[in-house]
Amino acid sequence: MKRYDLIIVGAGPSGLSAGIEAAKKGLKVVVFDENAKPGGQLFKQIHKFFGSKEHKAKIRGFRIGEELLQEANDAGVEVVLNATVTGMYQDKEIIVRISDEMHHYKGDAIIIATGASENMVTFPGWTLPGVIGAGAAQTMMNLHGVKPGNKILMLGSGNVGLVVSFQLMQCGCDVVALVDAAPKVGGYGVHAAKVARTGVPFYLSHTIVKAEGEDHVTGVTIAEVDEKFQFIPGTEKHFDVDTICLAVGLSPMSQLLKMAGCVMEDNPKKGGQVPICDEYGETSIPGVFVAGDVSGIEEASSAMIEGRIAGVAAAKYLGYMDETELKGKVTELEHALESLRQGMFAPKNRGKAIEETEEGIAISKNLLKHGFVADDEIERFPGVTHKAGIHPVMECTQNIPCNPCQDACPKHCIKIGEKITSLPAVDESVDCIGCGMCVASCSGQAIFLVDETYEEGYATVTLPYEFLPLPEKGEKGTALDRSGKEVCEAEIVDIKTSKAFDKTNLLTMKVPADMVMKARFYKRA
Amino acid sequence: MNSINDRSRYIGEFVPAADDDMLICRCEEITKGEIRKAVHDGMFTLTEIRRYLRTGMGLCQGQTCAKLVKGIVARELGVSPAELEPVTSRAPMRPTEMKVLGKEVKEEE
Repeated sequence: MKRYDLIIVGAGPSGLSAGIEAAKKGLKVVVFDENAKPGGQLFKQIHKFFGSKEHKAKIRGFRIGEELLQEANDAGVEVVLNATVTGMYQDKEIIVRISDEMHHYKGDAIIIATGASENMVTFPGWTLPGVIGAGAAQTMMNLHGVKPGNKILMLGSGNVGLVVSFQLMQCGCDVVALVDAAPKVGGYGVHAAKVARTGVPFYLSHTIVKAEGEDHVTGVTIAEVDEKFQFIPGTEKHFDVDTICLAVGLSPMSQLLKMAGCVMEDNPKKGGQVPICDEYGETSIPGVFVAGDVSGIEEASSAMIEGRIAGVAAAKYLGYMDETELKGKVTELEHALESLRQGMFAPKNRGKAIEETEEGIAISKNLLKHGFVADDEIERFPGVTHKAGIHPVMECTQNIPCNPCQDACPKHCIKIGEKITSLPAVDESVDCIGCGMCVASCSGQAIFLVDETYEEGYATVTLPYEFLPLPEKGEKGTALDRSGKEVCEAEIVDIKTSKAFDKTNLLTMKVPADMVMKARFYKRA
Repeated sequence: MNSINDRSRYIGEFVPAADDDMLICRCEEITKGEIRKAVHDGMFTLTEIRRYLRTGMGLCQGQTCAKLVKGIVARELGVSPAELEPVTSRAPMRPTEMKVLGKEVKEEE
């Protein structure tokens, strides 16, 4: 039987991060993954990540994946693909299917980083071809270049549902509605807002009554639900669609841990069956660690840090590191992890009704109910200011752990401060040069540059634009407001693309002066 | 004995529902009604349901339906899903053909 110091199951963000840290300390590390490509979900993530510099904020997920793979390669981590770990036994022995043979391996330590699987909901017709998971839609689009459908209804308003809806539109699909049984949008408001302003209607407190079609989906009926999630008769709405996308949560894939005898708990806050583990991710079996979604559903940024913690903890377990070094490393990593777990969407705040931001500003109710901040709500946020000439308008209205905009401005006119979750504020004493770095840096696409005094009777709005083909300078189209409603004619006066913007294009449109605080998206004629 | 598994506990009669014919386990084609009936037949644990009906024993190994089945059984028993003991996990965790399972490689040390 082949032996390794450390065996890692799963080559996603947490598994690779764990492998890197352990290999750097001299451990002989192997990572097994059942997929043909490493990186887990990272290579499907084409959007820019949130967080701060240390969390690789404003870098697109697949690029973080490329960096991680390179780092793993440089550190000497052996990654074995198309290798399915089908069993884990006592004494840290695993059995792996590689092509049509079964191989046995033994590790002195094991890290399980198997991630999660998508949840499903049932409704009449849920087994029809055309009902797919949001993860499947992402795999089709972003890994295989296949358009999942033409007209799509998305169920689920968490970050997955919102991000995938946006990606479906980028891929050329028509997202006809975003539906959630919950009364409030579950994901980041900025993700919701960038979907809403393209014209996608949000139906909160609604769910699917049935999928229609004989041998594939041809339509869907939704209806409103009451507080007990029972359908309210007479509220049915029909949509012609060919695809229904489900983004209704994830469950940890923790079977290997249970099989090996780790003490487990059923924790709804963590998404289901998870092992009981300590701050280092060590389970009830000494030397068996966990990292990433398998230990509780979060996201890729925290998975990478958890992976690094488990990696150094495994090194310490095997004597490659002393207690002092471990403490030092882990303190730093935990600080980074803790900063990601702050704000309105922190795990500790799940299920809580939050009325005010940390700054004491009433949160936008409309954002939670319809996916966009209403005209009479937007002015109260510190990123929204008015002055003559060009200046940023930051429609960032929730406390989320993210701060790249602060460093993006070469003139330092954006202030977030020490606390990463604080709302960005504009320093009005500093003159904006209109470079657009802040617009491109915002992972939530929530920053706009406006010039309220562009010319007599007209103003300009510069917005982040990630759709192809790009409009042409001089062309005329329609400006949409935050709700996606057509409000006025718009003329494209400038288009900026730059390597520094990393594929976020800056579109400057000229609109009537009274539309400057309304117009937030451009629709081609 | 765990009170959830107390078979002398009266859980009421099986009441047919409109969505009883909805497929829950797609791999083994088992409906919601069959799962609900099985509970009234005395199958109170997920492991028993699995052996009785084969839910979660097909190609996806319960990846899709495990949570759904758990919810249905919990509802029928009037308990929270978190209170139900999950099914046993055992190798092979992914469906593996017998000819592959039987082909063990002796690695060099």
